[in-house]
Amino acid sequence: MTDRPSGNEPPVYSALDEAEGLSVEPVTQWKLFKTRFVRHRLAMLAAVVLGIILLLVLFADLLPLQSPTEQLSDENGRIVNLLSPRGEYWFGTDELGQDVMARVVYGGRTSLTVAVLTGLMVATFGTLVGSIAGYYGGWVDTLLMRFTDLILSLPLLPVAIVAAAWLREAFEGREALSLSILLGTLLWGTLARIVRAEFLSLREKEFVEAARAAGARDRRIIFRHILPNALSPIIVNATLVIGIAIILEAALSFLGFGVRPPEPAWGQMAANGGRLAVGGSGAWWLVLFPSFALIITVLSVNFLGDGLRDALDPTQTIERK
Amino acid sequence: MLQYVVRRLVYGLITLLALSIITFTLLQNTGGDPLDRLKANPRITQQTIQEMAEFYGLDQPATKQYLTWAGNFVQFWNYPTAWGRSFQGPQQVQELVINRLGGTARLMFTALGLAVMIGIPLGIYQAIRQYSFFDQATTTFSFVTFSTPIFVLGIGLQIILALKLEQWTGVKFFYTSGMNSTSFSDLSFGARIGDTLQHLVLPAVSIALISIAGYSRYQRASMLEVLHSDYLRTAKAKGLSRRSVIVKHALRNALIPVITLVSLDVAGVLGGAVITESIFAWPGMGRLYIQAIAINDWPIVMAVVMLIGFMVVVMNLLADLAYGWLDPRVRYD
Repeated sequence: MTDRPSGNEPPVYSALDEAEGLSVEPVTQWKLFKTRFVRHRLAMLAAVVLGIILLLVLFADLLPLQSPTEQLSDENGRIVNLLSPRGEYWFGTDELGQDVMARVVYGGRTSLTVAVLTGLMVATFGTLVGSIAGYYGGWVDTLLMRFTDLILSLPLLPVAIVAAAWLREAFEGREALSLSILLGTLLWGTLARIVRAEFLSLREKEFVEAARAAGARDRRIIFRHILPNALSPIIVNATLVIGIAIILEAALSFLGFGVRPPEPAWGQMAANGGRLAVGGSGAWWLVLFPSFALIITVLSVNFLGDGLRDALDPTQTIERK
Repeated sequence: MLQYVVRRLVYGLITLLALSIITFTLLQNTGGDPLDRLKANPRITQQTIQEMAEFYGLDQPATKQYLTWAGNFVQFWNYPTAWGRSFQGPQQVQELVINRLGGTARLMFTALGLAVMIGIPLGIYQAIRQYSFFDQATTTFSFVTFSTPIFVLGIGLQIILALKLEQWTGVKFFYTSGMNSTSFSDLSFGARIGDTLQHLVLPAVSIALISIAGYSRYQRASMLEVLHSDYLRTAKAKGLSRRSVIVKHALRNALIPVITLVSLDVAGVLGGAVITESIFAWPGMGRLYIQAIAINDWPIVMAVVMLIGFMVVVMNLLADLAYGWLDPRVRYD
């Protein structure tokens, strides 16, 4: 976010604040954002939860956890598989005798890597296509938008499955990377449309004209003048894409086109555990813990996205209590 | 208007063409020859494999294979040979796919019916009682469902409503797999209905739950927007009854965006059938698709992808047309 009233300009007071004598501080964009965001209590909570999850996942190595891929055995050397949760193994062990808690934490690393990489790819590509189309207009716009429409009208899941089957072979052993490339390629369309719409209206504004009159070149106008004003929808959309990416990664893992074991990922663990649990082993903990981690994360991302949208969108009024 | 429809149809055709090329290319480059299983069988001679490859046209260059396939595929009226033959046996792809269409349709219509009948009224009620306990509780529930992958929902329902419920009560309420029991043909009419429902409920509900979450959120937002509009204030100021304001003025306008959402969702649910049908071993198109990909039986994969792609294109167009028809403020250009 940018603090727009910069430099030595005198602070701007809103008439209302002055009349009620409530505030003498200048109300900056950033401040408005903070007020609105903090009011959105669920979004605050979601941000905190996400922060904790990120810390756990990033510093998993420092936690007193078992190795996620080691087959554990008891003192007699027997492999301890399918143990229900107990003192020693809080989340139990899976059918191969691996510690479920360690796998959930390290699986989060895989799932979140895929999701964040996808979010970054979508933000980059969607912004680039959208801003070029919106800024230049004409045949460039037509061409890029027809292409965007095409990507958006592909049936998402069936195409993702076929592409995942292909990419997995191309990226043997680096499924996290291949999955994020795949999801990034399929999901940028919506953001490109949004950014284009923003650019279409912003390029007609006086400050753009002023910049052009001052001799700024296209690249400078796009990146320094227009883009900062179009950041809000980009941030919101990239956040929501992260949630979608986690769910899609899980779906692909369920169908067997995602991250391959022994490397853990939430969707793959839940799917695998689900097969065992429904198959009659009664090992509910194999489904419950990875699913729970996944749902909490996606839920937090969605709440955060919602809160960001409310806070960043200047047309929103501060009505919410 | 007519010009608009024609242009959209042309774009639709281009989309389908691109879809077929993308899918075909991806399938060609995915490892695994369709005849791998035959090659692994020592009792089949090199000679036979050569003949098979020629029979299926696998010895031709990929471009030629694609063109042959596409040329036959568009002539769908040449039932049942138009869509090629499965590599697994004598079955014609068109027959296979159309046999499975019924299963998918049964599941989809039940799920979407449930979702429309529950999701839309739910959203309306949430909006009318905004910030009430009911609104808060159901909105949160929608949010949670919306953030859950459908297979987790499906597995959860299987564990709780099928396995555990049977353990606790000793009565089998729901089945976790298949569309009918094996003894289906011996059952009486009433028992058949019961058996069908016992199989249908869990997969349909897991699809419906996610769609309900989507519809109600959307309907709630759309209803709230209308409730805060000027013409609604006018209606209230005229002294109309609350009922008349909500039903006659608000509801009609608030339903329009949701109709679009529902028609777009049809295509989404159809694509999602791949997952649902895999969880519940449901004999539909989606399951056929996954099984065909696993053994690189590409004529089947192509046929299913093209059917789903076709539905996406048609439903997108219908959604836009319905929107314009219901809301005269929308103009086509």
